[in-house]
Amino acid sequence: MAVLRLTGLLAQEVGARRVEVDAATVGEALRSLPGSLVLDEHGDLRPLVHVYVDGSREHDLGAPLEQGAEVILIAAIAGGEEVTERPRQSSGCRGSSPR
Amino acid sequence: MGRTILVGTRKGLFLIREDDDDGYTLDPPLLAGWEVLHAVRDSRDGTLFACTNSFVHGGQLHRSSDGGETWELAEGLGLPEESGLKLGKTWHVEPGLASQPGVVWLGAEPACLFRSEDGGATFTSVTALLEHPTRDRWQPGAGGLICHSITLDPTDPDRLYIGISAAGVFRTEDGGRSWTPANKGTAADFMPDDPYPELGQCVHKVYVHPGKPERLWQQNHCGVYRSDDRGESWERLDGNGLPSDFGFGLGLDPDDPDVAYVIPEHGAGNRVTTDDRLGVYKTTDGGASWRLEADGLPEPAWSVILREGMDYDAYGVAFGTQSGFVYARPHEGRWVEAARHLPPVLSVSLSD
Repeated sequence: MAVLRLTGLLAQEVGARRVEVDAATVGEALRSLPGSLVLDEHGDLRPLVHVYVDGSREHDLGAPLEQGAEVILIAAIAGGEEVTERPRQSSGCRGSSPR
Repeated sequence: MGRTILVGTRKGLFLIREDDDDGYTLDPPLLAGWEVLHAVRDSRDGTLFACTNSFVHGGQLHRSSDGGETWELAEGLGLPEESGLKLGKTWHVEPGLASQPGVVWLGAEPACLFRSEDGGATFTSVTALLEHPTRDRWQPGAGGLICHSITLDPTDPDRLYIGISAAGVFRTEDGGRSWTPANKGTAADFMPDDPYPELGQCVHKVYVHPGKPERLWQQNHCGVYRSDDRGESWERLDGNGLPSDFGFGLGLDPDDPDVAYVIPEHGAGNRVTTDDRLGVYKTTDGGASWRLEADGLPEPAWSVILREGMDYDAYGVAFGTQSGFVYARPHEGRWVEAARHLPPVLSVSLSD
């Protein structure tokens, strides 16, 4: 058993901010959520949803979940982009327009 | 009248109810926080459908069978992994004919179409469009490479038309198993070599006339058009009373195939209404002439109306602006403000 903690539109869609799921891996836990809100049609994690397991960022959907693990899903609020490497030179503000 | 205007906005779906005294009642938004690019009420059973989008949670379709109290997400909206494509925004939902209970069509990005056989619970991608041999010649418009118009021939469940920006109009005669470009006579002025190509046109909105199904109307990036042969050829109709050939919204009159409404905007580089006003233009002679019908609309004004931002029914027409105003009128009559101060309006849909 793991605990999923949800925010924003995701919590609105599920109707709860906290859901208990019977899942052995992060991917199993995320697949218990409705539709393709968190995982897209190919099973990939949507890039603007971040997953934290017991306080640490987790990228691996196959990562095992300990009994009682807390999985927090944090969705971007104002956009932005996934930065995979530091830009060589700062270009000032990189933020996106608020929506 | 008891009609409802469904208004999709950047932040949720609003229902505007027409009162008996011709006033309007605005309810708080449904699907709060979702970008609703299009919404309809299925006349067959009253189901509400909404093309919902989120930059975090992707393109979705919500449906409600209790007037918006509760919603379910459609399943199966996605593209096969071997296509190398992923679903973007959902743009237009079109319930099937009364003779096709359960059929629902959905148009989306990147230029893909889905069909449901179970009332919108689950969808399957239309393979013939996804694998169309001309797909590599399709180019995205400002809104992306999107399938945004789906219009049905009311006399033949196997014949329907779609509009893709910027690939043009496509017709199927076999329920979606094959698709033929239907753009002869429509311009693509932005194409460097051939302004009248087989495909590549930037259709903004296309409708079959419900009472005369061989007749189609089209507002295009490059002109306003009418076809009287199921899209085999198109006649250009601007330049005879319209201040511009550019616009998005399009309305018809189900009882008169010669009537159409457009809302001209300056052009691709300046997408606001012309002549410093909010002006709707109407033709009653099949597009041979157009006249301004702006009684009740604001002036001066510089408004923006998007491709799903106008709708029509037997009673009248309605449209919404990016500045959050909604206007409606009977086919003969003056415009009335139905709502103001909404989030930017993305779609308007009339429902009994």
